[in-house]
Amino acid sequence: MKKKILLIFILSTFIIFAKVDIVTLPSRDKVQLTIYNSADLTLVRDERILTLKRGENSLQFSWANTLIDPTSLELLPKQEITQINISQLIFPPRVNELGIWKIDSKISRKVPFEISYFTSGISWEAFYIGTVSNDEKSMELKGYVKVINRSGEDYENASVRLVVGKINLLEQIRILAQKFPPYGKPGYLPPIMVDKEKVEMFKAARAVLAEAKEKEIIKEGVSEYFLYTIEGTESLPDKWSKRLLSFSQKDIPIEFFYKYEEEKYGEKVRRFIKFANDQNYKLGKEPLPDGLIKIFKYVNNEENLSYIGSDKTRYIPIGEKIELNLGESKEIKVDVKSIDTKTKNYMFNKDGNISGWEEEKTYKIKVINYKNLPVKVEIKRNFPHQYWKIDIDKNIQWEKYDLNSVKFSLNLSPLETKEFTYKLILFEGDRRY
Amino acid sequence: MKKFFLFLFLPCILIYSRTKLVALPDREISYIRFDAPFTAFVEEERIITLQKGVNQVDFSWKGVNIDQDSITLTFLTNKNKLKLLNLSYPPEGNSLIWEIFSPEGGEEKIRISYLLSNIDCLYTYKIVVDKNEESINFSVFLIIRNFSGEDFEKGVILPEFGRTIETSTKNEETKQILIYQKDGIKFEKVFVFDSSKMIWDPETSKENVGIPVYIEIKNKKENGLGESPLIPGKTRIFQTDKTDSSIFLGEDNLKYVQVGENARLYFGDSRDIVVKKKKMKETRINVRRNNSGGIVLYDTDEIMRIEIENFRDKNAKLEILEYIPNEWDMEESTHKYEKIDANNIKFVIELKPKSKEIVEFHYHRRNLK
Repeated sequence: MKKKILLIFILSTFIIFAKVDIVTLPSRDKVQLTIYNSADLTLVRDERILTLKRGENSLQFSWANTLIDPTSLELLPKQEITQINISQLIFPPRVNELGIWKIDSKISRKVPFEISYFTSGISWEAFYIGTVSNDEKSMELKGYVKVINRSGEDYENASVRLVVGKINLLEQIRILAQKFPPYGKPGYLPPIMVDKEKVEMFKAARAVLAEAKEKEIIKEGVSEYFLYTIEGTESLPDKWSKRLLSFSQKDIPIEFFYKYEEEKYGEKVRRFIKFANDQNYKLGKEPLPDGLIKIFKYVNNEENLSYIGSDKTRYIPIGEKIELNLGESKEIKVDVKSIDTKTKNYMFNKDGNISGWEEEKTYKIKVINYKNLPVKVEIKRNFPHQYWKIDIDKNIQWEKYDLNSVKFSLNLSPLETKEFTYKLILFEGDRRY
Repeated sequence: MKKFFLFLFLPCILIYSRTKLVALPDREISYIRFDAPFTAFVEEERIITLQKGVNQVDFSWKGVNIDQDSITLTFLTNKNKLKLLNLSYPPEGNSLIWEIFSPEGGEEKIRISYLLSNIDCLYTYKIVVDKNEESINFSVFLIIRNFSGEDFEKGVILPEFGRTIETSTKNEETKQILIYQKDGIKFEKVFVFDSSKMIWDPETSKENVGIPVYIEIKNKKENGLGESPLIPGKTRIFQTDKTDSSIFLGEDNLKYVQVGENARLYFGDSRDIVVKKKKMKETRINVRRNNSGGIVLYDTDEIMRIEIENFRDKNAKLEILEYIPNEWDMEESTHKYEKIDANNIKFVIELKPKSKEIVEFHYHRRNLK
């Protein structure tokens, strides 16, 4: 067990820099970690009891070989707030990773204090596992969180809170932790380096999965973020990770559907699962943080599974719908053929040259369902510009998506083939106006 | 460490042989002002003993960076009687000699001022939003970074924020001092969708697209502030949660805020407000041609649609910033807007909890060829 953070309490005033006359070396009473996932940042609150003397007290705090941002250090009394004044925090000359608080006290007694600071090196991530029923109508979804400690410091019996949300950070905590002196020197403005490589390496480090205990995770919204509080306390030794079950929900009604859009996916059909983070889908109790979701499917009654695919989800607020892109599908085929092109309605200018015309293009779309289940297929067609008119079979459901695209929606029975044509008239040159 | 030396010579000895020390007076007090970046203006007061006649006072320094030409001497006692006759710079540098005439002997108080490099102060701010999001606690910290080479045992720091601080500062020491704290300051939370900077359709992005959220504070008396301008500095924003602990919301650089003005701090993105913008129409109308049939003038008829969804269980104030190039006329708009300048407009939308809103605006844009 490594303890890198030291707290030394020095007798009133006298010799500040000589580490003598230690009255108490208080150990941690409580520690709370608030870990962010959008940045390499953890807010640590460390509660300790200090024995104050009347007058000026000095408290020395050192953090060698950790990743603490000294500019974030703060000391607050939890009791007797009016009797205690913490006026200054001094980073003494030529001493790295050490700070001294000056505490003016009107009382002589034991007082609980909270030391808070930012550290880098602790992270968390969410991931999901979905298991789809054989008839593709429902899914069991399990959400997990994984906490990874690479901070250089052991945290024993810490209450752990996880924050979902994107915060604005001006400088990386890892960079601030390495800065000496803590605020730099006058006239010298160090470049703010984004040490992406290290962060990536850190993220890629294989996690050692501890045994997943079925602990409850309490969820609440704070400001624009969401806070997960893990029940009880956790010990997070340096270089260890821990996985916890965040939620588990059975029988979520889902809808498989297929998308075809040449410009986005090429000529292959993509398979999607659609559901929503709301009560209709037995969800909606909390937003779902971004993370990788792996989808499996039961292939028989013996609960054997097959792996369907995975997708990286975005953050899903409560009430928002989710579409998971599970990759290419060979079960549905969409075939688009241009069957006729004509130009007509020409306009000529004074010199006898063509200044405008209409182009009439006819397409035939054939959709084949090779599956034994009914399917929905969405086909998006993008046009070269916004000057167009369309003529479609009456029984085909379609909508104008934006100024130069339309979307067709088809429902196919098991093993059904559907065909339809549409005529696109493009106005060119002066025919546009 | 003492890097400054003040020597007083007996009257009328050779100017350039600085021996025969009369007095080495200590600093009474120093005033340190931080008006310019990376440089401090130091005024120090000392008592010197002058002899009747012409005295030479030698001021020299070592290991510190003083702007030699900025050094001035002021008499604080017997101003009308004492005369500064001459100032000379010896060839070895880092010193100067004043020649002072005193009609009679005795102790005099003088002030020496100069510009000193490598000492400055920074400001940092801490904001704690209360759990009901009604008000904030605002703290101002002063960070003194002294790498000047000199210790100031008894210094009076005069920061721009307008409060005088008496403190010592050692060479190579960094000191953080809480200089101001106030509770109950009102604020407003504002969400901003800037069309020219943000992704129109969040579904096209693999990454999360959040709406930037700002905290807006008025630097005014009625709001609990307004005592002096706020100096730029890093501001860390926290919010108290239900357990009376707090979480970190994010940080931003506070810009210079004059009394009476508003400060806006961007702290993070909200993913619980989703904004999707689409162009629904763009056609040419009112086309005018020249004699050869070429187009010389036309208007574009454009319709923009912004679909907003508030997934939060609270109200939200959303600002939508739109840029419309060239000459334009608004034909129709579902919502009121403010014209910021010729080409920028702003919609302010008050969103109800868990609600949807569609902003659609239709304009003609003039095009000359």
